[in-house]
Amino acid sequence: MKPMRAVLIFVGAMFIQWWWNTHLSYWGAAPQFLLALTILLAARRGPVPAMLLGFAWGLYADALRADLFGANALLYTLAGYMAGTVRKQIDLRAAGPLAVTVMILSWGYVLMVGFLGSIFDHAFFWVGWVPALFTPFLNALAASAASLCWDVWGER
Amino acid sequence: MQRETRIAHYVVGSLTALSLVLLSLPLSSPVRSFKACASYVFDPLAYEGERGYQKMAGVPVRVRELLTADILNRRLREDLRGTAWLKVTVESLSLENERLRLALGLKTTPGRRPLWAHVMERDPLHWYRSVSVDAGADRGVSLNDPVLGRKGDTVVTVGRVVEVRSHASTVLLLTDERSAVAAYLSSGTLEGLAQGQDGPHLRMNYLNSEARIVAEDSVYTSPTSATFPPDVLIGRVAKVYPRDPFLAFQAVEIDPALDATSLQEVLILCSRAAPSPAQEAKPR
Repeated sequence: MKPMRAVLIFVGAMFIQWWWNTHLSYWGAAPQFLLALTILLAARRGPVPAMLLGFAWGLYADALRADLFGANALLYTLAGYMAGTVRKQIDLRAAGPLAVTVMILSWGYVLMVGFLGSIFDHAFFWVGWVPALFTPFLNALAASAASLCWDVWGER
Repeated sequence: MQRETRIAHYVVGSLTALSLVLLSLPLSSPVRSFKACASYVFDPLAYEGERGYQKMAGVPVRVRELLTADILNRRLREDLRGTAWLKVTVESLSLENERLRLALGLKTTPGRRPLWAHVMERDPLHWYRSVSVDAGADRGVSLNDPVLGRKGDTVVTVGRVVEVRSHASTVLLLTDERSAVAAYLSSGTLEGLAQGQDGPHLRMNYLNSEARIVAEDSVYTSPTSATFPPDVLIGRVAKVYPRDPFLAFQAVEIDPALDATSLQEVLILCSRAAPSPAQEAKPR
């Protein structure tokens, strides 16, 4: 990946994440572009770049919230690692397996955030039913769309 | 492959450890400094993004205003096209008016321009002599222009212009004793001269002494008239005067078709073209 394009994707993804969450979320449901892209990157480029980028994106997501600083960095890193591990067994280039993986990891993210809250903030951090139920689907859609864009415009 | 896996393990271990430190020690000075640093790096994205969004938020309003202006523009263009249609309609009506005027029997001399004017002054002591109308040199009226009137659907003779002022004119009525017009009787095409008598009636002289004249016969202007267009109604024969054995002609009394006392509006057949607005603006 060319450095310029990498920087562009890094900053663009954060911008889209912020903009969508701020202006286009309904009842708390909005796609987590950063998580979806971390998993996609792991599927296409392996776990190491995905984890590094996921950690940075996680820090960005954590910087915008008041509690659990480090939770998103940890979960995005783990998501990148898991997707990078899964890709050895499953072909995550195909849209279907990628969407399923993103959905499962997204639900895992929701639960893990709750657990991290109960460990480090003395209360289970529940994101709410609507985000918990719909965000994984939105993440899967976002990952599929990003995968399609990657196939069309990205490096193969 | 093994190497990549090993590196992945190292990286995930390191980043997980770092994350757990951040989670475990959120109030410690290094972590707060790290968070402040992260915020310093990432906050501009949200801040500038919000400012940009606020600027972009005004775009739909401006686009809507632009569309509204475009719709208004199109509507005004339609109105303008309607105005053009109105102009065509006016021209059409003008042509129709011309046709109807011709149908009334008014044979306008070529080069003459009809001009309607209102009677604005009438001297009670001279009911049958003259009237003043509100059209003068400013509207192209000139001396000896024929003046007609309207009775129902018929155009009738009224008189001629004898004095032209800047914004008004004086019309000498046919009933004035100084007026005379060549005329003919409709029944026998007998020609004569209709003259005013300073009264409500006219006198038509110089009719053939052998002619048999019928009362109620219509009198029209003659084509030989130097002032009036031909075939314009003057009036009707009211009385045939007894023959004078010493005169070689006979005479009749004519009832004018239009009573001078009831005259409200007249039609002047101007020989001059209407002055242009620039000429009108010139100081007199």
